[in-house]
Amino acid sequence: MASVTFERANDTSRRRGQPRQATAKRLSRPPRPGVVDLAVVLFGLGLGASVALALTAETAAGMKAPGGVAMFIGNLTGLAGTYLALVMILLVSRIPVVERTLGQDGLLAWHRRLAPWPISLIVAHAVFLTIGYAQAAHTGVMHELSTFISSFPGMAIAIAGFGILVVVAVLSIYSVRRRLRRETWWAIHLGMYLAFALAFAHEVVLGPSFVNHPLTQAVWSAAWAATAGVVLVYRFGLPIYRSLHHRLRVVELRPEGEGVTSVILEGRHLDRLPISGGQFFEWRFLKRGLWWQAHPYTVSARPRPPYLRLTVKAVGDHSAALARLEPGTRVAVEGPYGAFTAHARRHQRAALLAGGIGITAARSLLEDLPKRSQPVVVWRVASEAEAALAEEVRQLVSHLGGKLHLLAGSREEFPLEKVVGLVPDLATRDLYVSGPEGFVSGVVGLLRHSGVAEEAIHSEVYAL
Amino acid sequence: MTRLKGAFATLAAVVGFAAVLVAHTLIGSSVPASLRSAAGNRPGGSPSNSSKTPTTTVPGPAGVTGNHIVTGKVTGYGYGEVAVRLQVDNGRIVSVKVAKLLTADSYSQQIAQQVIPMLAREVMAAQSARISAISGATYTSEGYAYSVQSALDALKKG
Repeated sequence: MASVTFERANDTSRRRGQPRQATAKRLSRPPRPGVVDLAVVLFGLGLGASVALALTAETAAGMKAPGGVAMFIGNLTGLAGTYLALVMILLVSRIPVVERTLGQDGLLAWHRRLAPWPISLIVAHAVFLTIGYAQAAHTGVMHELSTFISSFPGMAIAIAGFGILVVVAVLSIYSVRRRLRRETWWAIHLGMYLAFALAFAHEVVLGPSFVNHPLTQAVWSAAWAATAGVVLVYRFGLPIYRSLHHRLRVVELRPEGEGVTSVILEGRHLDRLPISGGQFFEWRFLKRGLWWQAHPYTVSARPRPPYLRLTVKAVGDHSAALARLEPGTRVAVEGPYGAFTAHARRHQRAALLAGGIGITAARSLLEDLPKRSQPVVVWRVASEAEAALAEEVRQLVSHLGGKLHLLAGSREEFPLEKVVGLVPDLATRDLYVSGPEGFVSGVVGLLRHSGVAEEAIHSEVYAL
Repeated sequence: MTRLKGAFATLAAVVGFAAVLVAHTLIGSSVPASLRSAAGNRPGGSPSNSSKTPTTTVPGPAGVTGNHIVTGKVTGYGYGEVAVRLQVDNGRIVSVKVAKLLTADSYSQQIAQQVIPMLAREVMAAQSARISAISGATYTSEGYAYSVQSALDALKKG
């Protein structure tokens, strides 16, 4: 396996006799900002329509009847909450063009920001409708609940779904969530799909906006069916297809420095894999104890068919376990994801600011940058021994006529102001920031403070 | 830029909201027009409904001679199905009974049982299907009125 190398010295021109070492040229397709604008407008249209839908089922007389007001609020919150939940599901449905345009961390941030709304609206929906129906039937709330379960079509499973929703929502509150293992939480979180699937029947069978309204019923059902389809295709179908198509397996583990390991994979048809430098996959190593968890790691070089490489720093159970992988282990992938690519450039020149292992995204991105970008790379790392891939980075930077500042030392020695200060003419460059969360948010904050335009800042956070 | 997107989303929300309300007034529910004309004159109901009464025939059974018992169409109203049986004696509705009542759930059953006697009284008083919907049971009232109207129509044809 000694022939596997990802260094720039193995230029295609010099090794024409060994096509296996050529760099794959197929880039991921460019982002489409127009898609985002369209999505924003569709989001607004849907929200307005959902609220209006609740009004269409209401009459003044109905409002005056016992429980009328509570029922109206219950229907309104149910429609708006469920609609927002649908949007949340779409935000994490991995639609490729959206992923390329907004980046996964941006999408996840929106998913998190939105989360409290559908949850509290749906809780309000359950509370108000129970009260409203109890008032209308002149009975107690507890009695009404048992009536719901025993005699309303679709309500028993909807209440089960509501239970799942509440449990998952509580576990997702940050102070609770951080006590759970990432994988445990992730598995529990998938329960939300089940919750909304269970809730669907009662919406169209009992909802006053849908009963006797075949058109709204059809539109609502189509929206949910389409969402389910998008999730199935992009979260499950495409990853399974790609994994089977490329048949990746581990061929070599290469120590790159203190606690840093490169995992080199071999696979088929990697020349046809659309990927840009700086992107990442969710990797699933099909080995006992690891197969059930997928973790995001950046590709640390463009593919050299039939090889692909990721470089990982041992910081958690999973990343530490990677150093103990055996050659031959099959690997399934989801991706590539991420907007941290050369497509995002707004200026001719670029600067890459990397903290520690964040260099892997910068390293593969450098391969996609044109010569005129003259990249300035500022890389802060705890010690020289941890500066994995330093030689490759140096070669790439010098090939592009750029400059590398390798700052090996403590945070006190090299504060973020110093990291940013090493980039000349900030305003005329694209700034790519990658690394641990503290590093990225600190640097991005400084850049904004220095008046760098938002469009020129591109960041990739490495979750630990 | 983000603020601009927020403005777009808000604008779109207003458009979506208005579009659904407009579509609702134009298309309305799937309830047949004859039913809406029958049940639309409820207090607080939109006045436009009351103005468009498409039936050209006399709404009641006036002019029908003899004693007749006629069953109205089984009418699905979303939460269940209802059909009425009318007894008409020399141009007057003398009784309205339920020929069929099937509901999707027991709550709807409860509602239907509460309001059906009230609806029957309304029909007797109006001597037609032009009754106001009972609050909290709009769909049941509409379904009931529709079945009454269909029974009257059948009576006049036959």
